[in-house]
Amino acid sequence: MSKDSSEVMIEVIDLHKYFKDLHVLRGISTKITRGEVVAIMGPSGGGKSTFLRCMNRLEEPSSGQIIVEGTEITSPYVDINKVRTEIGMVFQLFNLFPHLTCIENIKLAPMHVRKVSEKEATERGMQLLTKVGLANKAYSYPDQLSGGQQQRVAIARALAMQPQIMFFDEPTSALDPEMIGEVLDVMRTMVVEGMTMVIVSHEMGFIREAADRVMMLAEGVLVEEGTPSQIFNNPIQQRTQDFLSKIL
Amino acid sequence: MGNLKLTKDNKLFKILRRSHDHVPWYWRNEFLIAILVILVIYAVVLLPNPGNLSSAQWLVIGVFFFLALIWAGLMLTDARKAEWSKTLAAFAILFLAGWLFYRYSDAKWDRLGHVFFNWDLMQEPMEDGGNAWSILFEGLKLTIQVALFSGIFGTIIGLFMAVFRSFNNRILNIFIVAYIDFFRSMPIIVLMVLVYYALPYTGITLSAMVSGVLALSLNSSAYISEIFRAGISSIHHGQIEAAHALGLNSIQTMRLIILPQAFRIVMPPLASNYVASAKDTAICSSIAILELLKSAMQVQAWKANPTPLIAATAIYIIFLVPLTRLAGVLENRMKVRKAG
Repeated sequence: MSKDSSEVMIEVIDLHKYFKDLHVLRGISTKITRGEVVAIMGPSGGGKSTFLRCMNRLEEPSSGQIIVEGTEITSPYVDINKVRTEIGMVFQLFNLFPHLTCIENIKLAPMHVRKVSEKEATERGMQLLTKVGLANKAYSYPDQLSGGQQQRVAIARALAMQPQIMFFDEPTSALDPEMIGEVLDVMRTMVVEGMTMVIVSHEMGFIREAADRVMMLAEGVLVEEGTPSQIFNNPIQQRTQDFLSKIL
Repeated sequence: MGNLKLTKDNKLFKILRRSHDHVPWYWRNEFLIAILVILVIYAVVLLPNPGNLSSAQWLVIGVFFFLALIWAGLMLTDARKAEWSKTLAAFAILFLAGWLFYRYSDAKWDRLGHVFFNWDLMQEPMEDGGNAWSILFEGLKLTIQVALFSGIFGTIIGLFMAVFRSFNNRILNIFIVAYIDFFRSMPIIVLMVLVYYALPYTGITLSAMVSGVLALSLNSSAYISEIFRAGISSIHHGQIEAAHALGLNSIQTMRLIILPQAFRIVMPPLASNYVASAKDTAICSSIAILELLKSAMQVQAWKANPTPLIAATAIYIIFLVPLTRLAGVLENRMKVRKAG
């Protein structure tokens, strides 16, 4: 949709992250604009997930600035919960709430954070479940669902907060191969709707068709970035070539 | 490579099969039945009559029981024997032990019954019109009150301490851990006596009931706090992250996500803890609360007979066994749904 609009949603400036002595992120800077779909790739331990989680402060950045829609979120005075309502997050292990049914999982945050009425939250939740193709599972518990279904519910749960940006932290890597497709289909519809998305994933086919930009993260450094075809077909950096040769 | 297919006519298969089918001599039915026959003959021929027994005669009885024990052990350790035969063997050995004790001990069964199970004595009317049972039931009322109040207060204090502890504030945690360690290691009877007899010197005078409830609450809150802490920390960290990512604050996360899941997990240990602290109410007898045990001891003194203690025990069991069963039922019903 409006991918040419250059409104900056997230700006990251010189982000560093240490876990004790381990320097996980070594000065990362980038901008993510509205409607952009950014894929983050790289070897494991390279800091992809940490980078993503710093951007909604599930990890505290050690230094650097992160500005989400004009708000400097690393400031101690910011209401981080308010910022997080604008960022939907999908996890590798789904992290659905096992004691709640699917519809309860979805309407929980709108009701308690956005203060939406239960009726409205349920209606909107059912719409979202229909969208991900699981309206008939509304009153099932997460453990009664397959991995792919759980991940679709998790996406619906994130969307229920009507976020401006969606983060996906390896959304398909815990799934059996035959279930990856159904999750990617849901993500594809979100791309079409113009959602701003940041995706940590190694689904090359999906990234090639859906992503506007690929960021290669290795050893905590942004090694290289560009369009999928640039990165996949003509990688410049040796590090990128090594990585791609291993996963292809 | 030779033909390694394991078909039925294959030599290798036959060898494997034979070694697999092999039953060691001590598990063979022929052997076990022979032993059984020998045991019966042994019992009929060799077992002495009760009376003044020499050490040699005691040895004969001991060897007999030892052989029977080995026989039952062989029955029980063979996975291929049928379930019913093992059950039979187990009950046989228990029965044998009971029978040998009954036959050779010089227990005075009628005296035992007359002293400890003298139910007529419990029925005898007393000066105030009631009988021993009615006094015990008065005591039971107090016991239930103490158990209920100390259970409620202990749970509330314990829950709050566990929640505060999960915030991982280092200074606060030092105090909470000190509280828990102190009250867990302090004998309740000492605590109760201190609260009732020592606090008045500091200007705080509490009634016996309040002292009892306070001491029991302090003690059980320490245990309950540990139970809740275990429940809370068993919740997968991804649950908390997911809640935070949705914009829920810490209190909402605790209330809506962590505690509902933790409660299901801690239900069985919590119920078992309630059973334990219900029995601890008996300690209130040390500060002159006329609860069940104290009432029983009083009647015991009046009647010069310990039957009331047995009666009180029966009442404890009648009330507490359902509670332990309830724990089991809850455990099944609240089967924790696995985190996705």
